[in-house]
Amino acid sequence: MAALLEIKDVITAYGRIEALRGVSLQVEQGSITCLLGPNGAGKTTLMMTTAGILRPRSGSIRFMGSEIAGAAPHGIVERGIALVPENRLVFPRMTVLENLRAGAYQRNDRDGITSDIERLFARFPRLRERAGQEGGTLSGGEQQMLSVARALMSRPKLLLMDEPSLGLAPLVVEEIFGIIRELHRDGTTIFLVEQNAHMALRVAHHFYLIEQGRVTFSGDPGSLAEDEVIHRAYLGSAKA
Amino acid sequence: MDVLADLVQNTLDGLTAGAAYALLAVGFTLIFGVLRRVNLSYGAAIMFGVYFATWTSQHFQIGLIALALLSIAGAVAGGAYVERLCFSPHYRARDNSRADASSGSIAAMVASFALWMQFEEAAILAMPRHLYSFPPLYEGAPLQLGSFLLRVESIYLLLAAIVVCASLHAVLYRTRFGLAVRAVIDVPVAAQLAGINVSSVFVRIFALASAIGGLAGFLIAASSEQVTPMLGMWSTVKGMLAMMLGGLGSLPGAVVGGLVLGLVEVHSQWFFGPQMRDLIAYLLVFALLVARPAWMTRWTNIRSAS
Repeated sequence: MAALLEIKDVITAYGRIEALRGVSLQVEQGSITCLLGPNGAGKTTLMMTTAGILRPRSGSIRFMGSEIAGAAPHGIVERGIALVPENRLVFPRMTVLENLRAGAYQRNDRDGITSDIERLFARFPRLRERAGQEGGTLSGGEQQMLSVARALMSRPKLLLMDEPSLGLAPLVVEEIFGIIRELHRDGTTIFLVEQNAHMALRVAHHFYLIEQGRVTFSGDPGSLAEDEVIHRAYLGSAKA
Repeated sequence: MDVLADLVQNTLDGLTAGAAYALLAVGFTLIFGVLRRVNLSYGAAIMFGVYFATWTSQHFQIGLIALALLSIAGAVAGGAYVERLCFSPHYRARDNSRADASSGSIAAMVASFALWMQFEEAAILAMPRHLYSFPPLYEGAPLQLGSFLLRVESIYLLLAAIVVCASLHAVLYRTRFGLAVRAVIDVPVAAQLAGINVSSVFVRIFALASAIGGLAGFLIAASSEQVTPMLGMWSTVKGMLAMMLGGLGSLPGAVVGGLVLGLVEVHSQWFFGPQMRDLIAYLLVFALLVARPAWMTRWTNIRSAS
């Protein structure tokens, strides 16, 4: 399989503090790849760097063969990457429908947008019920669905998801992971950051463990090291 | 009965002043609400536009519409200069420590203060007299409504405020650009992630706000038939006060704030004397900022929650 996203030696810093200290990893075309790690390991920083919100100090990020490190966020969306951000970040004072239209901002195909909204409403019936309601009035689970749906409106080739289960009830988490499986079945490549390692390893084809700004382990779920990885994803390595 | 008549006449005059303030506040609020930056040079750029029109009117024979367009064009040019120097460096420098947005906004505000001084000095150098006459908006007598007087200029100002607000509302809620603007106001990072080019939205908002300011400046100069370099400071202060009264960042609030400011000023002047006009207006804004009633903080809360 070919690598859709190839991250090499990426260093991202906030002022003098390096949050990523040389991260390298690959996301294969058509896979669900998962990034695990304890709080503060740099997972969100990697997502924000890939989406262009943060600028890497050095290193390379290649998407479908072309360099995107340091490109502006709207340019990265244009190339086919969409991020479902941590804490969902729906537009609280815009209606559900407007949130979706904002997700399709770069598209000009009116009919395509309308039919995509229709398709997403079929997949997320709760969003259809709340189409005219402001994003801020939705429940946490509904906001997560809206955030995913908004990202899908740009028709991404690669969907980045940052902690989609954060703060959600177990039943809603199940629902979100069901959606992740469905999206993958429909052909979307997914790069997922999760604290919930158990859930993540159930859907992932491949995973990376990141600790203190470095990838410290990578492998396939089901391998012998799984318990160790889960332990370290929650608690950090014993040495730390 | 006399007091009642005074009240009605003052209210008419107050609404006129308020319409001008509302226009100024709408432009100010656009910049503050979208960029979350205070542009102290807002009024100075307006003054620059109006001076440009005044200068032209003294050298060439031009009509009112041309004067209005020149004021708007001048204000937009002035605004673009301010945007380039004070604001664009901050949202284009993508150095991650930009998370520290407050230092950036202070730098932008201080820089905009410097440009305000620059505009004022330039105006004084180019046109050294303190006061220049400006062609009148309307030369006839005021309208007589029963025992009340209504200046025709007032109708123009009120109409302009209504038309500008209605068009702005249509742009914000009916167009693709409006969707992008509201997204940027709501959650800037999410807007970027949705593929919206945020700095291009900023530039266009700056131009739009300056154009509205230029129109306001033209109407104000043409109804008072004179200009001084003080128009810059005056516009910034009135726009900012009205914006604060309206709850910092809400467009309908800016309109209401402008009208309230105008009414309070005119009534205060009538009942307590001209020295009290500004004093009472400032006291009102001060009291509101201290008390921060719920309707006022609602907007800022939504802000910080995002």
